[in-house]
Amino acid sequence: MESVTHLPGLSAVMIWTLLKVLIVFSAVMGIASLWTWVERRGSAMLQDRIGPNRALLFGRWQLLGLPQLVADGIKFFFKEDQVPPHVTKSLYWLAPVLAFVPALIGFAVIPFGRDFTYKGVPYHLSILEPGNSMGMLFPLAIGAVAVYGILVAAWSSNNKWAILGGMRASAQMVSYEISLGLAVLAIFMKVGGYDPSEIIKDQMASGWFIWRQPLGFLVFFTCMFAESNRLPFDFAEGEAEIVGFHNEYGSMKFALIALSEYGHIITASALIATLYFGGWAVPFMPEAPVLLTILFFLIKLLFFLWVFVWVRWTLPRFRYDQLMFLGWKVLLPISMANLIFNAWLMSRGH
Amino acid sequence: MGVIVKKVELTWLDRSYVWPIAQGMIITFRHFLKQIATPTSKRFTIQYPDMKKTLPKGYRGLHELKRFEDGAIKCVACFMCQEACPARCISIEAEEFSELNFTQGFEEKRPSVFKIDMLRCIYCGMCEEACPKDAIWLRNEYEVAAYDRLSMNYGKWDLINTYAGADGKARLTQSQESPATPSRPASTSGNQAGPS
Ligand code: SF4
Ligand code: SF4
Repeated sequence: MESVTHLPGLSAVMIWTLLKVLIVFSAVMGIASLWTWVERRGSAMLQDRIGPNRALLFGRWQLLGLPQLVADGIKFFFKEDQVPPHVTKSLYWLAPVLAFVPALIGFAVIPFGRDFTYKGVPYHLSILEPGNSMGMLFPLAIGAVAVYGILVAAWSSNNKWAILGGMRASAQMVSYEISLGLAVLAIFMKVGGYDPSEIIKDQMASGWFIWRQPLGFLVFFTCMFAESNRLPFDFAEGEAEIVGFHNEYGSMKFALIALSEYGHIITASALIATLYFGGWAVPFMPEAPVLLTILFFLIKLLFFLWVFVWVRWTLPRFRYDQLMFLGWKVLLPISMANLIFNAWLMSRGH
Repeated sequence: MGVIVKKVELTWLDRSYVWPIAQGMIITFRHFLKQIATPTSKRFTIQYPDMKKTLPKGYRGLHELKRFEDGAIKCVACFMCQEACPARCISIEAEEFSELNFTQGFEEKRPSVFKIDMLRCIYCGMCEEACPKDAIWLRNEYEVAAYDRLSMNYGKWDLINTYAGADGKARLTQSQESPATPSRPASTSGNQAGPS
């Protein structure tokens, strides 16, 4: 990182970092918008429907309904940007950004491929270099910041239903944060560090954490659904019955909020893959080539993204008291037990 | 006598959430695989303008005023259908016709005006039931739409010619042989290609 300080000359490292930022964010954005399509067609297939397939590219090519993405984008851009008169303008404009940015930058510490050395210079395939002393705490902290996006959106709307939706969502996210932290703590304890690359190395050495801490995985996985406000915990919006925090939003601002949900699930899937499924590790191939590790990371990521969609269209929504029950009386004790059990195991020298 | 609702005893496995959720996901995934492997034409959804459902025999769609072989209208303007119509959407005006009244001393009646307001019609088929001459039938045309209210007021010639081709011959039977758009019977499945 020495050469970064030699501003404004562009060093290879800087270009590399810029390149990484570009590639990762465009990949995340691409997957996020692609996943709106997967969500709709996939849900249709899960429910024996057909899904959106009538948008044609240049009136001719159907492409499995993919032009619908373009059509939606164009529609969102050209819609009238209505700002209700009763909103608090500054916060109202800020909220979509507050919702969108944390969803994206949580991805920054996650390594998406094996480190490699080229001409004696080591390269790391994650936006922030390993050893940045934030490690896994960064996505968790950023994920917690996402509550502000929702709360600010709800609050600035000056609409009681939006505020109620925002309160529901923030209460939910805050309660699940605790079990989430405790579940991850067990991993940090086992690894002896919270840098993602250390965690992945440890998993390559002694097995993925899904086998070593299945209980912790269950807790973490469930909390990820709550954190990203997905069904069965989608109290933030509850699009079908209850009115949610983005009630007063339209056009591109709504699109940003909706996309941030997909950003969240991408980050969540990346976290699940990194913490419990060995990140970019290729099973039975400790010295896999770099491209293969990237491919495997992508496969794991896409698989969990698909699981998010799959679960959403399988389960009905929880009732709010059930949600709180599950969070405080089930997941919290389980994650505590998981932590204490692992601590006990470690004290016995395992 | 009330029905005794059996309380389902949940085992610990069921109450753990995890196993039932896994079961549910397996079920939905099975549906996913099945739906993906099914060609579009055989899926449950009929993609309407591209495909049309073949209607069952007794379908009550747009009316037809029947004619005799020689082209004369069967309706004798007896007003039975107008009386029977629960929606009060038929309006008939009768007229005398034919030279028979000069030669043989009796006259026949026929409608000079026979209007059905398709916006009010509920396609109940009561007119068909009431007609003593079998002159009005409800048939299988269901795409009754127009840009204004006035043109939804179907007159005598509209009703006579609903199912006739340009040459005045009935096209209904022919159109069932070779539909212009791929259609699918209600129960069996066709194998036409359509958009996926
Ligand atoms: S179908 Fe029913 S509502 Fe329609 S014209 Fe006949 S009797 Fe009236
Ligand atoms: S359609 Fe039948 S019921 Fe109606 S006026 Fe004509 S003959 Fe009578």
